[in-house]
Amino acid sequence: MMELLSFAMNGLVLGLIFAVVAMGFTLILGVMQVINFTHGILFALGAYFAFSMQRYVGFWFALILAPLLVGLVGLVLERLVIHRIYGSNPLFGLLVTFGLATGLEELIRMIWGKTGYSVAAPKFAAGSVDLGFMIYSKYRLLLAALAILIILLVWLFLEKTPYGAIIRAGASDAEMVMALGKNLPRMRTFVFIIGSILAGVGGVIAAPLWSVRPTMGTAILMPAMIIVVLGGIGSFWGSVLAGLIVGLSTSISVMFWARISDIIPFVILIIVLLFRPRGLMGEKSVLEV
Amino acid sequence: MGSAPSRRGWAASPMMWVLLGFAVFPFIPYAGRYLSLATEVVIWSLFALGFNILLGYTGLPSFGHGAFFGIGAYAAAITFLRLSPGVWGPLLAATVAAGLSAMLIGGLVARKRGIYFALITIAVSQVFYFVAFRWDEVTGGETGLSGIDRLDVGIPGLLTLKLANGLAYYYFVLAIFAVCLLLIWRIVHSPFGRVLQAIRENEVRASYLGYSTTVYKWGAFAVSGVFSGLAGGLYTLLINAAFANILDWTQSGNVVMMTLLGGGTVNFFGPILGAAIFIVSRDLLSAYWESWMLAYGMIFVLVILFIPSGILGLVGGKKQTILR
Repeated sequence: MMELLSFAMNGLVLGLIFAVVAMGFTLILGVMQVINFTHGILFALGAYFAFSMQRYVGFWFALILAPLLVGLVGLVLERLVIHRIYGSNPLFGLLVTFGLATGLEELIRMIWGKTGYSVAAPKFAAGSVDLGFMIYSKYRLLLAALAILIILLVWLFLEKTPYGAIIRAGASDAEMVMALGKNLPRMRTFVFIIGSILAGVGGVIAAPLWSVRPTMGTAILMPAMIIVVLGGIGSFWGSVLAGLIVGLSTSISVMFWARISDIIPFVILIIVLLFRPRGLMGEKSVLEV
Repeated sequence: MGSAPSRRGWAASPMMWVLLGFAVFPFIPYAGRYLSLATEVVIWSLFALGFNILLGYTGLPSFGHGAFFGIGAYAAAITFLRLSPGVWGPLLAATVAAGLSAMLIGGLVARKRGIYFALITIAVSQVFYFVAFRWDEVTGGETGLSGIDRLDVGIPGLLTLKLANGLAYYYFVLAIFAVCLLLIWRIVHSPFGRVLQAIRENEVRASYLGYSTTVYKWGAFAVSGVFSGLAGGLYTLLINAAFANILDWTQSGNVVMMTLLGGGTVNFFGPILGAAIFIVSRDLLSAYWESWMLAYGMIFVLVILFIPSGILGLVGGKKQTILR
């Protein structure tokens, strides 16, 4: 029982990281209709930036600075390349970002080397804490709290601020938003930066859990895609819910039959899609035409 | 997108040129020595042509087609090691296994469109990667399956072809390729192929004309899976092994790239040109530069951005493509 609980807790933490990364992915997909393969690279960059600067600026500053730097990379990518693919066939965007991701992964290898690094959790969060019902790693708890905070902040931003309203409107009818006098290109750039920052922040907080290595971007991309489709493309709470489902099911299945833990999320996805073609919380959208 | 069946006289000539080009390749001084590379080009051409039934002719952006190539590769290897060491058995198994998987998956994705279609094909193809990676007893897991020798084929007492010889295997693959090339040409120019093209142009309209577009898309998926699987089987025999990285999603990206680079969306023969350029340049690039993936990624982006209709599209002055 204790064992199950600890696997479930790990799954929850994993799910929260997934949810943060998938939120950025679904935001970009929902608003710009771009399947962004560079999302994984941005996640990896977040981890690498934090790894490189933590020594000098400490955990908290790195937590803020690294995602902002990733946002800057996102801005450059969007302005240079990705803005060219809006409004095209989804395969077009997919291929362009696939090529970009392939090249950028190699760039990471050239800069930081092929081997991975392990990142220590910050000193104040090292060790474990007694929760009453179980003893659990302090850093994972901190991570969960941070992830929940980020999820809430993004939700508040999208639901409660006028800019969030414009973004949501842009996702359902871009042309109308433009006709109402909003600067659509700027909004899209902005959304891409937000998505990049979310990927980056996910990388920063995940770094101490997994080792920082060039392939970590590709490794996170597949769960992110499954989560987005499972939750329903463009659905905020859908991706949070699906993130938790994927995290929990992956983690708990390790306990029973480790070999199939990679496949479990796909099986869930396929079963859900048979009954709910748009995912758990997806609605009919412009994406299907 | 090629011509009507009634104009086959004209169209037969590029096909003849393609096959003739491949047939004389081993005798070209200097270049002819790279037989294994040339065999790989023929195999990937077959894969890309099969894939193009789906992408170029039906307009379905599958990004998980590497799965069928991989399933074919593994089916051939497993059949060779466990059932019947030979050539025809494994190749038949590759074709059938990939065809059946494609039917199964096609049934799942045929109703999907656009982004959903692309995402789900990626996701489903990953399942096979993990199966190959984890199911050690059958697939050999991380180490893969090796020891798949090319045995002799032929008519008993009349003719034997020692496929272990690289040149013999090249011509063996080429012969299969020629048959498939003809078959695929017939398929895309058949009434079935016409409906696929109608779906590409306007699916709603095609369905209003009374065609069950879901069934046709399903059919296109299955047919293209069959050729991809056969290519995978031939590949296993070429490298005498099957590894999990053959199911990696980058392989799916590669076949899309080959198809588009050559101009598969505007010309029937585009995928062949694309496969040749892709494999040769990848081989050259990786031989001279350790970080060739950087250049590869950037070239990929530039090609897709600026010549989306591919080389044959550029030469033919066609800029329109399903990508835009």
